[in-house]
Amino acid sequence: MTHEAVTTARPFVMDTTFWTATAIFVIAYGVIVFEKVHKTVVAVFAAGLMLVLKILEQHEAFHVEEFGVDWSVIFLLISMMVIINLMRPSGIFEYIAIKSAKWGKGEPFRIMAIFAVVTAVLSALLDNVTTVILIAPVTILIADALEVDPIPYLISCALASNIGGTATLIGDPPNIMIASKAQLNFMDFIYHLTPIVLVMMVFYILTIKLIWGRKLKTKDELKKRLMAMDEHEAIKDPVMLKKSLFVLVLVLIGFVLHGMLHLQPATIALFGAGLLLLLSKTHEPHRILAEIEWPTIFFFMGLFIIVGGVVKVGLIKWLSIQMLNVTQGDMFATSMVVMWFSAFASAIVDNIPYVATMNPLIVDMARQIWPDLSGIQMLHHPDLMPVWWSLALGACLGGNGSAIGASANVIVVGVSEKAGRKISFMKFMAYGMPIMIMTVLISMVYVWLRYYVLGI
Amino acid sequence: MKAKDLMVPLHEYLSPENTLKEAAVLLRIARRGEEQIGVKALPVLDKTGNLVGILSIGDILKAVYPPYMYLMDLGSFTWDGMVEAFAQKAATKKVEDLMTRKVITVKEDSTLMECVDHMLKNNVKRVPVLNKEHKVVGMLYERDVFYEIAKTILGKNRGGAQ
Repeated sequence: MTHEAVTTARPFVMDTTFWTATAIFVIAYGVIVFEKVHKTVVAVFAAGLMLVLKILEQHEAFHVEEFGVDWSVIFLLISMMVIINLMRPSGIFEYIAIKSAKWGKGEPFRIMAIFAVVTAVLSALLDNVTTVILIAPVTILIADALEVDPIPYLISCALASNIGGTATLIGDPPNIMIASKAQLNFMDFIYHLTPIVLVMMVFYILTIKLIWGRKLKTKDELKKRLMAMDEHEAIKDPVMLKKSLFVLVLVLIGFVLHGMLHLQPATIALFGAGLLLLLSKTHEPHRILAEIEWPTIFFFMGLFIIVGGVVKVGLIKWLSIQMLNVTQGDMFATSMVVMWFSAFASAIVDNIPYVATMNPLIVDMARQIWPDLSGIQMLHHPDLMPVWWSLALGACLGGNGSAIGASANVIVVGVSEKAGRKISFMKFMAYGMPIMIMTVLISMVYVWLRYYVLGI
Repeated sequence: MKAKDLMVPLHEYLSPENTLKEAAVLLRIARRGEEQIGVKALPVLDKTGNLVGILSIGDILKAVYPPYMYLMDLGSFTWDGMVEAFAQKAATKKVEDLMTRKVITVKEDSTLMECVDHMLKNNVKRVPVLNKEHKVVGMLYERDVFYEIAKTILGKNRGGAQ
């Protein structure tokens, strides 16, 4: 396949180019971790350096799948953002949130559990950041109405969104990136990840019940405030609501069938975004397009180019050889190392740059193990599949490990601070880290049992 | 007509350390001309008399408005007594945390059109008037500008601003 032809383009030598590329990569990631400069600025500048120093040719950065920007990821993200931006003003998310809270009948823990499930489901279908932006404000409002501490609700909301996002291809950026690199489809994720995420959610609800169940109390007269809210008032634009639900359902059906239809997820999402833009009869696409989270999109593009640079000079291949030396080619050990390392790495670093690096590393590792295979046969080798799932589980769930582990956490901490209730780094970690370890342990047992014992 | 001719000379002002409670009292009893009818904003001056901000009743509405309400359309889901509850919590907040720091000002010798220009472009209804030493000497109110315009329109003898 084309992959093979391009890789051999540059022999592996530890020359000046190699060290320059490595230095750009290491320094860029270092600066991103310490957050002195905005991560998007770092990524775009470092990508520019990779190009201007000719470590990577512009053609490779823009048009070669292996070294450059993964446009499938970019367009899938942009399209989903457009769909959600068009959907938001209809009031659907306020409706869902108020309806769920009323469903909890004003019982503080019941509401917390329902919000956790709703957040997890929404995060699986939309991206996590959008979900928490939509759920967190209502969460605080409900907590204020019931005169209970909003912080447990907010932390629970962030944790549930990271667990829920793990379940599907579109749920969390690491999954979108892994799906594109490993050519996995939407149903692969449903089949391999959704079942275990459901199990995790059961454990998660039981855990938050243990932690907060008894502490959250309210008075009966305060429950009336909540029950007096009329969720129907949330719907501001019923026509647009119908249109956007129609398109969202169409897109979800498209995702389910995309493998069979031989259409990429990005194709489905782009079509959905285009259709909804058309149906919205907007004369100001400018506003809707401006609301796309461009800093995130440019962060992705910059990272793809930075990682492309170190793939080209052979750093990633060298790292994959080191990893093989450690695991001695034992694929179970590889899966476990990848899972745990990913979890802790993602708790410290943003999981997006982490997965951007790990994806080509796993591909390079696969090339060492099966030099005769290529394309799908190599990417979907039965021994390699559990490694992809371990990467997805580790990277997504690792986001719960700290307040900076996932974008959803950063948003929740920010919203909480605005509401005058600061969640400290240690406070978040006190809840997030044990939940992360619990869910990764569940994943570990799952991967071991399903792929190495039962072999299904 | 210049800013200094139309302004209300400075009587009351706030200090950054004032609490919201103290500010509310002063806003209610502040003088406008001869009467103690209250004002909709007061300048905030530091110990050396320099202008550091302005506190308007809009800032006080913001002080009782939970910031998360900006993020979504939640107005329909509020309850009776919510503002009062937040007002009680906000009473001890400091003026410096609530005031608008970027203050649109005019100089005492600014022409009336310059004052109108600042008011319209920045969407403010009152501007502190500064002297050459950058000290606040008065406040210019939109309403007084209107009275001046009305005087011209109606003919000077029938002016309503007396």
